[in-house]
Amino acid sequence: MAVNEQAEKVSPLREIMETREIELNLGPQHPATHGVYRALVRLDGERVLGMESVIGYLHRGIEKWAEYRTWQQATPIFDRLDYVGAVLNCHGYVGAVEKLLNVEVPKRAQYIRVILDELQRIASHLVWLGTHGLDIGAQSVLFYAIREREAIMDLFEAMLGQRLLPNAYPIGGVRFDFPKGWVEVCRQFLEIFPKRIDEYEGLLTGNRIWRQRTIGVGVISAKDAIALSLSGPTLRGSGVNFDVRKAIPYSSYEDFDFEIPLGQNGDVFDRYLCRVREMRQSVRIIKQALDGMPEGELRGKVGKIIRPPAGEAYYTIEAAKGQLGFYIVSDGSDKPFRVHVKSPSFVNLQGIETMCKGNLIADVVAVIGSLDIVLGEVDR
Amino acid sequence: MSDEKEQPGSPAAPPAEQSPAEAQAKPAPPKPPAPKPAVPAGPKKWESTGEVAENGATAALKAKFGEAVAGVKSPCKEAVVMVPKAKLAEILSFLRDDAACSMDYLSDLTGAHFPVNDKKFEVAYHLYSLAHKHSLRVKVQLDDGESCPTATAVWPGADWMEREAHDLLGIVFEGHPDLKVILLPEEFEGHPLRKEFPLGGKQEEMIRSNKYGKPVYLPEDIEEARKIIEEHRHGS
Repeated sequence: MAVNEQAEKVSPLREIMETREIELNLGPQHPATHGVYRALVRLDGERVLGMESVIGYLHRGIEKWAEYRTWQQATPIFDRLDYVGAVLNCHGYVGAVEKLLNVEVPKRAQYIRVILDELQRIASHLVWLGTHGLDIGAQSVLFYAIREREAIMDLFEAMLGQRLLPNAYPIGGVRFDFPKGWVEVCRQFLEIFPKRIDEYEGLLTGNRIWRQRTIGVGVISAKDAIALSLSGPTLRGSGVNFDVRKAIPYSSYEDFDFEIPLGQNGDVFDRYLCRVREMRQSVRIIKQALDGMPEGELRGKVGKIIRPPAGEAYYTIEAAKGQLGFYIVSDGSDKPFRVHVKSPSFVNLQGIETMCKGNLIADVVAVIGSLDIVLGEVDR
Repeated sequence: MSDEKEQPGSPAAPPAEQSPAEAQAKPAPPKPPAPKPAVPAGPKKWESTGEVAENGATAALKAKFGEAVAGVKSPCKEAVVMVPKAKLAEILSFLRDDAACSMDYLSDLTGAHFPVNDKKFEVAYHLYSLAHKHSLRVKVQLDDGESCPTATAVWPGADWMEREAHDLLGIVFEGHPDLKVILLPEEFEGHPLRKEFPLGGKQEEMIRSNKYGKPVYLPEDIEEARKIIEEHRHGS
């Protein structure tokens, strides 16, 4: 219309009133980014048009560092990848070396590894649950979740001597058997923990605000999720049945009876449900492992100096965040020639653009929380 | 496993260094002659040991591409194939689309640097089939400076993995939509995962290779330190 055009031309406010895209910098020091993650979000009003991830602030060169240590000396550094799931990282690395060495880990050690792995998975999911709730505004869940995580940390301290980064496994088996009374305390925890999960679900699953903030938000289809190589609960939330514990069984996981919770819609709520149900399955696995614990050795036959044959191995486990892979190359010497970590957080973070496009800026925080990233693992 | 045995190819330990004053004070005892290494010392090519393993995917690949695809030995019975660079893109899309292979999931993509080999770089694709539950490692060898065709058209998830390999190893992926730095700072020089890159970074290399031939510790005064760094950078 001619009148409006006229008005626009003369208005001094035209420059500021004009609708245009803005670019918003989220992070790297934003509390909702769970570490030093920076997102450049292109916005039209509150609607996300596109986003770009900027990572690498926590790159410590762990893969390079490992090349300058012997195979055993390199073990503890991998705890520092995903520092809320340290036991699982350690399992990935020692498993890869054992595969290359062709060492058979004794059955008892395998079962102990399963118990510690599943406890660590619960602990990692609890940290995720608390902080994810905090991001979306459900503050009280954090206090409940950390209370139970504390019990698991105490179990680790009693068994491994360390709480956060216990350097749990040596190459070839496990270091310690259960201390006296440990199994009873663990069983007590397993008794009360399912009730505690009910408490979390009572706070969140039926909560109207929680459902409105999560259902239909950050949707990714199964096809996109597979194409983007996502893994773990992030992939299973879209309904893809891929869990390394079932697909490529390791450490006697084929002995246990458990289910893989799957989502349907691939939104934040389904990913939330997957993780919460996974905690219940972990409890099931630990109970079976404690009941069927075989007697025997704790370590396989591994020499004092480890020199794997020249060659390479790729070993994957199901870590708390997804498929954790270790690609190790040996040249026959006592030091790794190359160690590459396929970290689930790094690959899962690729999906964030697909999930956030078309959503509101407030939902970006919900999506970052639902991916369960740990920046130590993203940047390595 | 024979762990404690000396490696036959390893060179003899260098004689301990002594300062001239010490050497004058007490004459060094006659040293036993160093044992001659049985095998002439020198860089040995990196090669995998073990045996070639087969699965459904390798069989389908061999049937389609014949001699172009070579099985690689593996010490832990993993199915590994080496493919020529010219056919890589074709083979990768065949692996995804063929019904017998259906490698729809790219688990990992990375590279490694082998300075002693003729072809100095290897890129490894770890593929997995969600339908058939089998996995395969596809490898391709590259010369220094040679580019590799991108896999992002086949698996969009290869995007960040290729950017990472480009950052850390300097492998160029041709046709990648946006091959820029991802883990390193933008102004970073060099590729840290190459074998010649020192663990302590460029500063360590500078200190080691300076004109004095001995370590120089940078002074605390930042201006003076900067002067020394600049002098080294532009001086020699």
